[in-house]
Amino acid sequence: MKTLIIGEVTNNELNSGTLEIISKVRELNLEYEVVTVGSSDVSKIGSDEFTNTYFKMNPNKLNLSSCANEINKLIVESNYELILSNSTYICRDLIAFLSVDFKTSPVSNVTNFKISDNNLTVMNNINGGESEYKTTVNSDYKFLLIRPKSFELEDIVLNENFQSNNINDDETSLDVFDVIIEEKTGPQLEDSKIVISAGRGMVESSNLSLIEELANKLNAAIGGTRAIVDAGWMPYSQQVGQTGKTVKPDVYIACGISGATQHQVGMKDSKYIIAINKDEEAPIFQISDLGIVGDTLTVIPKLIDNL
Amino acid sequence: MLMKIAVCAKQIPDPANPIEYSDGQIVRPEEQVLDDTDRYGIEVALQLKEKFNAEVTVISMTKVGTEKGIQQALQMGPDKALVLEDDSLKGASSIMTSNVLSELAKKVDADIIIFGTESTDGYSGVVPQQVSRILNLPCISYVKNIEIDDKVTLTRQTIEGSEKINLPSKCVISVTASGVEPRYPNFKDIMAAKNKPVEIISLNDIQYTAEQNMEFLGIEDVSSTKEGEKIIDEGESHNIIIEKLKEIKAL
Ligand SMILES: Cc1cc2nc3c(=O)[nH]c(=O)nc-3n(C[C@H](O)[C@H](O)[C@H](O)COP(=O)(O)OP(=O)(O)OC[C@H]3O[C@@H](n4cnc5c(N)ncnc54)[C@H](O)[C@@H]3O)c2cc1C
Ligand SMILES: Nc1ncnc2c1ncn2[C@@H]1O[C@H](COP(=O)(O)O)[C@@H](O)[C@H]1O
Repeated sequence: MKTLIIGEVTNNELNSGTLEIISKVRELNLEYEVVTVGSSDVSKIGSDEFTNTYFKMNPNKLNLSSCANEINKLIVESNYELILSNSTYICRDLIAFLSVDFKTSPVSNVTNFKISDNNLTVMNNINGGESEYKTTVNSDYKFLLIRPKSFELEDIVLNENFQSNNINDDETSLDVFDVIIEEKTGPQLEDSKIVISAGRGMVESSNLSLIEELANKLNAAIGGTRAIVDAGWMPYSQQVGQTGKTVKPDVYIACGISGATQHQVGMKDSKYIIAINKDEEAPIFQISDLGIVGDTLTVIPKLIDNL
Repeated sequence: MLMKIAVCAKQIPDPANPIEYSDGQIVRPEEQVLDDTDRYGIEVALQLKEKFNAEVTVISMTKVGTEKGIQQALQMGPDKALVLEDDSLKGASSIMTSNVLSELAKKVDADIIIFGTESTDGYSGVVPQQVSRILNLPCISYVKNIEIDDKVTLTRQTIEGSEKINLPSKCVISVTASGVEPRYPNFKDIMAAKNKPVEIISLNDIQYTAEQNMEFLGIEDVSSTKEGEKIIDEGESHNIIIEKLKEIKAL
């Protein structure tokens, strides 16, 4: 099944989601090529193992649809049958545009797929990962949007061996301004061994300083629930869950988090889960290795003092 | 000039109950409610209406039923609703939904079409972008804030932060569940909604050719509740956490 991976550049690098898909496709021995989209200057996104074409967009324009037009041409020319990408913002838009061109529905939130006898079986988790939903796609073109962290990341040697194409604007392109890139400091959610997440059970946004202190002591990254992101306690980039990031650290410490399925789906595969919640019945305890029924505001300060 | 806004309202089974599946499809009761996700898009539509000469139409695709969710949408303040009710669309894929919603947007002659980012029950998260492609309109996805003075500025969430865009005269917008605060209808709004026009049509009334391209194979229960330890804090549980962290070599 001839495969095209649509990758993405974040912080001037091929993002880990893209590398995870490449790892998976390599393991399945599929014939594949990569196109990568982004708007920054990049150097090491190529490889001797696969061809990568960088579609560079204008950082002052929103012009993903003209980018989709270019990828469309490539799909037709090279007869790709399987088109894989991450369910991130940019790639979701691209795949949605392309799915219209090829008159087919993409499968969203994919966590795994199999190919046997040229049949594609796709798995996605539903109900916060409590059930696995299986479908087969029978259109000529098959588009999958894959959740980051679904596949093991293998070693991939990257170099400067890639081609670059500039994406031109079209009639749907729009000007963008006041572009803000949130500063990334300290351990990052995606690759930290310990993640400490806060929920509404931290009671007030000022109490997040406790989470920061604890994270400093443990060299951990900080995450949060949508409830506190929506409340403005934390930037969106730190949201864990269905509409945020998926994390799989060695240790996940959930502080004052109820454990809604939409949160669980982003963290339940962490190796060791510790939850602190004052409600004995909180669903987070059902997936915890160690559950502390207690007040975050008394347990966490003592934890900090004794570390 | 009259600004015509179409805003999506999806009816979903009450999220207070767990989602049930039958043959791979969500079981939908007679009475469905408004997806909270759509309240954010409706709020954006109403803020535009307050500043401009605008007409706001709720559009929706749903099974035949009580339309409680449509009423809930109208209670917030839109002028009217155009609803396509057809039981044959049960289990519609994203592209089928997008085709229907595009036709509804055309029927109300919409300049601006507003969506949620992803629905609570299906969360495919691609319908807004698909509609923009079908209608060849600019797509401003993941809008988290709107500022209206002499011009309209939208703030988009991006993976690295945010960026701003001026609202063009024709476009598709998807709104995330943050930034704007959806309004609560009062008693008067609730009564007024009952008299707002709701036009109900079926598949025969639109141009529709989309097809299903996925076949359901099965659902497997993969839930794994852990037999973890649960300790009631009596003042010493921080020590247990530290011991555990040492035991698993995280410290
Ligand atoms: C379409 C959709 C997508 C979503 N995506 C996400 C997502 O990506 N990520 C996400 O997190 N959520 C998501 N949600 C929201 C999710 O359903 C929950 O609403 C959210 O996760 C709840 O956050 P919370 O645990 O912080 O708050 P709550 O549910 O309010 O829980 C707070 C918890 O803190 C406990 N508590 C209170 N005070 C204390 C105290 N002093 N000490 C100890 N414990 C205390 C309470 O017992 C309670 O269990 C989504 C929802 C929808 C509909
Ligand atoms: N049947 C529907 N009726 C009205 N709006 C819908 C429908 N399905 C999806 N939408 C809109 O499209 C958005 C994204 O949906 P989805 O792609 O299913 O996650 C939702 O938040 C709604 O605004």
